[in-house]
This record gives sequence, structure tokens and C-alpha cells, in this order.
Amino acid sequence: MSYEGPFLRLRQISKTFAAEPGKASSTHVIDSVSMDIEAGEFVVFLGPSGCGKTTLMRIVGGLEVPTDGETLLAGQKITGPDRRKGMVFQAYTSFPWLTVIENIRFGTKYRNDISNAEKQQVADYYLELVGLTDFANYYVNRISGGMRQRVAIARTLAANPEILLMDEPFGALDAQTREFLQSQLLEINTTERKTTIFVTHDVEEAVVLADRIFMFSARPATIIDEIVVSKHISGERNIATKETEPFFHLRNHVRDLMRAEATRTQELTEHQIMHSG
Amino acid sequence: MLISQNFIEDIWISVARVWAAFLLSAVMAIPIGIWMSSYRIVGMLTEPIVDFIRYLPVPALVPLLIIWFGIGESSKIAVLWMGTFFQLVLLIGDDTKRVPPEFVETGFTLGAKPRQITWHIAYRSMLPNIVDNLRITLGWCWTYIIIAEIVAANAGIGHAIWAARRFVKTPEVMAGILTVGIIGLVTDQVIRLAHRRYFRYL
Repeated sequence: MSYEGPFLRLRQISKTFAAEPGKASSTHVIDSVSMDIEAGEFVVFLGPSGCGKTTLMRIVGGLEVPTDGETLLAGQKITGPDRRKGMVFQAYTSFPWLTVIENIRFGTKYRNDISNAEKQQVADYYLELVGLTDFANYYVNRISGGMRQRVAIARTLAANPEILLMDEPFGALDAQTREFLQSQLLEINTTERKTTIFVTHDVEEAVVLADRIFMFSARPATIIDEIVVSKHISGERNIATKETEPFFHLRNHVRDLMRAEATRTQELTEHQIMHSG
Repeated sequence: MLISQNFIEDIWISVARVWAAFLLSAVMAIPIGIWMSSYRIVGMLTEPIVDFIRYLPVPALVPLLIIWFGIGESSKIAVLWMGTFFQLVLLIGDDTKRVPPEFVETGFTLGAKPRQITWHIAYRSMLPNIVDNLRITLGWCWTYIIIAEIVAANAGIGHAIWAARRFVKTPEVMAGILTVGIIGLVTDQVIRLAHRRYFRYL
């Protein structure tokens, strides 16, 4: 498959949710966002909670239709969800009626590019990659939240998507588990080199994981800054990167940007309240 | 009386009628209930009708069903079906609405087609609830079969009870009632046991 231009291209994406019963007006969540993402890149969408970054990622996944603009994956317009765009959600989506290995195996269920024997090999490979070999035959509600997210990641990778979309996958986990999964994701990323979009509002998480960070404003989301992390932090990334000087500097810089945006929105909201009252 | 050949036959006839109607109801209500909840437009069109029929008192429909279906087996099946199908459709519909939307979206991003999502994910996810609802519905079947057999039948537990009443054979009436209770209790326990074994992950 040959195509012109970048691997993933977002062209002037806007999204407005129509008014629903009980909600007075429609909601403008994304305002004309454009970006290009290269194959193999790990991109983080960083922004305040509820800013529309998740919606933007869902548009890439084909789960949401933009009001305006278009998304091209390998030169092809994205019209709906399919196996090319794998997704890991914040909510636990591993199926409770299946064991760990059966869940991962489910990721290969709708692949017709490999034989059944190969499907089992793929499942076993990802089971080991996320370090759950000892729990292969456990039902997923017998294991911890962090493990369930590892199952979900392994299942998504087993489907062999062209792009991996992760919507605050560690958002519901405690700090220690979160850090452990970040380090594991860095390891997985080193071996898999899968094009990834990772959504978070955690600055530290964004800086340690990303090749590139897109910072979004509060609703409606627009890109307020683009940070090429690899320009600031060189070399192979792992969890120890968090203890280095360049990491501190960049993290503080990004945190300041986030604070400035939060202050701006806060003032804007107060202004609106004062003038509407 | 309990060991009398006639009464054993009556039991078998009632059990057969209950299960035939129950299975018919279930086989129809499961796909239709899922279908109604999966598409908003289908649900909006059918729910008022289902809700209306659901509130019709089944005993009041018995004369009508006898006129339409005669006094053979089909009218008994029809009574039980009327009493359970519409209730079951709504229960299954509610179960479908409770399937986590992320499960469905996960299915799409793993490459499943809508039909595969329905049967491999949504149906499987709600199966424990479906079995619970079926268990409750099966209980209603026993209420309706007695009514149907009292009104028009030459056999069955309901008929036996009614025939015994004519000669004021109170013990036989009691035996009939107890038999229904025991059958209900045993089936219920068997289904619960199967539920626990088959849905071990719950």
C-alpha cells in the first residue's frame, strides 16, 4: 500500500455535539485541529480534563464522526471503527467471562491473515510481553486493575492494529501501579514500535512516554503548543528517565504551560459568570 | 393418588406444555429483545405495543385464544406464550441496554462485525442475566398452565386439580398444588446450580 504524505493526517477537525434533552445548547468541543503523525511515533494528547482530547482520539478511532474536517490513515479516509485502529479505554474492557489468555486470544479472533495455530502463538507472545504468564488462566475479575489494563493492552496488540489509541488507560490506577505500567509500556514500545496516540492530563506521564506532545486548550480544544520531547531528552527512555535533569526541566516547563492555560480558562469562566449574572 | 398412572401422565403433559411454550418464548424473545434495544427506532416503534400487550391480563385472553386456537395443545401453548413472551422481550431489552458501551466499541476496534458483536460480546456479556430472567419466567409459565388447563383440557395437573374439586377430593387438590410447587422448586434449584457452575467468574 503506497500513499502520499504522513501516516496519520488530521485536517481541520472540528466537532460539535448537538443539544440533547436536558442540555440547553450544543457543545463545541474541538475547534479546527490539524496535525501530522509519522509511522512509529508515540504522540501524547495532553490537556485539562474534559477538554475534548478524548473526543479527538475517538475521531481517529472512527468511533466519533467529526462535524468538519477529515482524518487520513495511510492515505485512506477514516469512516468508522475497525481493526486497523486499536483502542485501550480507561474503563476496564477485558471480558469477565473469559480468562486472561482467552481475553488476549480474543484480540486475534477476527484476524484472517493468520492461521489458528498462529493465533495461539500471537496470544502467548503478548501474554508474556505484558508479564501475565502466571495468571493466564485467571478470570479477569480475580486480578487487579493494573493487570486488567495489561490484558487490554495485550489484547489490542494481538489484533495487530496499524495505530494504537490509548484513552487515559492508567487513569483509574494508584500511583505505584501507574508508574509500573508506564515503565512496562516504554518497554513494549521499544520492541513493538507501534504508532501510538496516548491521551492523558498527567504532565509527568506525558513527558516520560512521548516522542511528541500536543497540548490542548480547554474546550473547545485547540492545539496551544507542540513539544518535541526527543529534542530535550535524548537516548532510550525508561522509568529512570524521570530522575534526570532534562526530564525535570521539561516537566516544569510543560507544567507551567498547563497552569497558564488553567489560569486563563479560570479567568474566562469568572468573566462569563460575572457578565451573565 | 400420587402413584396413580393417570396423575403421572398429567404431570408429564403439563411439564411438556410448559417447556414447549417456555422454549418458544425464549427462542423468540432473546433475539427480538436484543434487536429492539440495539436500534433506537425499532425500540421506539415496538415498545409501546409490547408494553400494552404486557399489561393485558392473560386469564382474560384465554377465551379468545380458545376461539382462535381451539381446545388442543396449541391454545395452551398460546396462553403461556402470551403470558411470557412480552414480559421477556422487555427484560432482555433492559439487559441489552446494560451491556457496557465500551465492550461494544472494543469489539468494533478488534474488527468484529455488528452481528459478531451482538452474539460474541453483547449476548455473552448479558447471558447470566438472561438465565436469571428465564428462571423467573419459567415460574410464571406454571401459573398460566394451571389456568389454561382448568378452563379447557382433558389432561394435565390443572385438569386433575379441577376434576378433584368437582368431587370435593381436597387431598387430591392439595396433592396437585404441592406437585406444582415441588416441580418449581426442583427446576429452580437445578437452574441456580447450573448458573453457579457455568458462570463461575461472577
